[in-house]
Amino acid sequence: MKKLLALRELSTVAILILEVLFFTWWLWPETARPHPFLNSGNALLILKYSSIYGIAAIGAAIVIISGGIDLAPGAVMALAGVIGADLFVTQGWGLGPAMVCGVLVGVAAGLLSAALVVLVRLPPFIATLGVMGITRGAAFIITEGQYFDVSSRLLGGWRPLGLPADWAAPIVLLVLALVFQILMTTFQWGRAVFSIGGNETAALFSGIAVGRIKTSVYALSGLLAGVSGVVLVLVQGQGKADLATGYELDIIASAVVGGASLSGGRGSVIGAVLGTLIFGVLRNALPQIPGATFYDRLIVGLVVIVIVVMDQLLLKRPRT
Amino acid sequence: MQKRSVANFTIVALAAGMIVAGCGSKGPQSQTTTRFRFAVIPKALDIPVFNYAKIGAERKAKELGNVDILWNAPTSADQLKQKEILESYITQRVDGIAISSLNGDFLTDTINRAVDAGIPVVTWDSDAPKSKRVAFYGVDDLASGRIMGEQAVKLLNGQGKVAIITSVGATNLQRRLDGARDVLAKAPGIKIVEIFDIKEDSVRCAELIATGTNRYPDLGAWLSVGGWPVFTRNATAPIDSSKTKVISFDTIQPALDLLREGKVHVLLGQKYFGWGSEPVQILYDIKHGKNPASPVIDSGVDVVTKDTVDQYEATWKKMESGS
Repeated sequence: MKKLLALRELSTVAILILEVLFFTWWLWPETARPHPFLNSGNALLILKYSSIYGIAAIGAAIVIISGGIDLAPGAVMALAGVIGADLFVTQGWGLGPAMVCGVLVGVAAGLLSAALVVLVRLPPFIATLGVMGITRGAAFIITEGQYFDVSSRLLGGWRPLGLPADWAAPIVLLVLALVFQILMTTFQWGRAVFSIGGNETAALFSGIAVGRIKTSVYALSGLLAGVSGVVLVLVQGQGKADLATGYELDIIASAVVGGASLSGGRGSVIGAVLGTLIFGVLRNALPQIPGATFYDRLIVGLVVIVIVVMDQLLLKRPRT
Repeated sequence: MQKRSVANFTIVALAAGMIVAGCGSKGPQSQTTTRFRFAVIPKALDIPVFNYAKIGAERKAKELGNVDILWNAPTSADQLKQKEILESYITQRVDGIAISSLNGDFLTDTINRAVDAGIPVVTWDSDAPKSKRVAFYGVDDLASGRIMGEQAVKLLNGQGKVAIITSVGATNLQRRLDGARDVLAKAPGIKIVEIFDIKEDSVRCAELIATGTNRYPDLGAWLSVGGWPVFTRNATAPIDSSKTKVISFDTIQPALDLLREGKVHVLLGQKYFGWGSEPVQILYDIKHGKNPASPVIDSGVDVVTKDTVDQYEATWKKMESGS
């Protein structure tokens, strides 16, 4: 199993490398000017924006591995960001406490999803669809169509731990990816998540506290969406109710492209992060090709299908 | 027996409902003046500039005295949801509708249906020119786009590369884009390197500005037909303002501060408060038998530069406070 996962992650890395090589070749400058795609500034840009999706995709991957689905991350990101921004901009809170509150709102949203799935026994699709509506609606109620201008309160630059602000999001992603990869692969909790996703009844009979594990999975997904939301607000400089609209599908797609099986029991945190990087490179490189800006949705859709089909053919695994 | 009790219950419930409805309708009838219910529909509730239209509409309603404003729109830009809201106001038989069309052609039939049903419709901000709407109040988008193009040519002394930011789908943005492209195409030294579609996503806008700046280090100007780049300081942060000029629509903060700091060079301000107040006044006049002299009322556009920003902001604050 471990070998298979390693192989799957390796194939995701291979796709990412092929993608980078393709755009490096396609966008090769005709004159002696610097390469527009293959440069450190652009790499940091890809990492910065991919991190917004990537942090939430870690949570999405864990939920999918457990056999569930979470449709709420985009809306939770917006609500967490809006609350953090509101406390920071209008209530005059410090940046740290305000953003921690935003993250806690994400946890609360995750716990609500968990309660609906575990206690009320709603299908995860319906439960998280409801939470998506509730959290997006709450964000709109708070903002009333306006936005909180975080950028004006962060004048003079924001340097987390003395580092340039652009590095913050990729560092948060890297740390969280490592923590959750270790949690999922070496801790009993992670193995329990895989077991529940593989066969919930068998997991129950083998003594796994299925309800408690599922609750922790949705709470962590909410926490990660909350972190992603506050990172988004800091990157974007504004808290707005419509931020991250539709991101849930990109987040789920990243996890799936990274090897997560929608039938549960398979996937990885690192794979999900690699999946967001595949989309991040596409988002960055396609607009650099004249005229391609109107085609990017189509190309992203095709890429999802091609990668998942290739995955099935290469590994000869059952369909996700 | 059970069927009979259900029938009895239904009759009693209907009778009670009619009595309640009757009591409810007695209030307004007993008043000496008729109260008008005007539906005011912006493109979406999450677009900050429309809040000023709401202030304008509500202030005008208060001034007129016997007007109630029904403010509603899709939470984010969604043509079908906007059409549904418009249809609901037709069935509710409101006294007038003022709408900023997300897609004028898509709404034409529905607007015609409202007018045929005796509900006057005024479009604002974004028109539905093929419909039977009584009037349109807003900027001439084609002319505004031309102004943006002219400002770009002027700032670049007729030489340089220009990247344009838009969001595909809205009629008014398309017309602004057409106007800007029209002027830029006539300047032989100007080259449009790319037209970026940000899909109404402000995060995507910031990402594309960063990517585009990286892709075209010798870019002369960014030209945005919507206000996305100036609604936050972070979006324009990657731009080297000594090399690249920024011309954008909309003037709400922090746009004016960015202009003062030299990060942005020209802003085009619309009559945000007028979007709400003028259509309400037009509908009110129609209800009193007075149609507008012209079906298209050009609100004009404010071209704001570093030299005029203080004066513009003073006027803005005056309008915001209602003094």
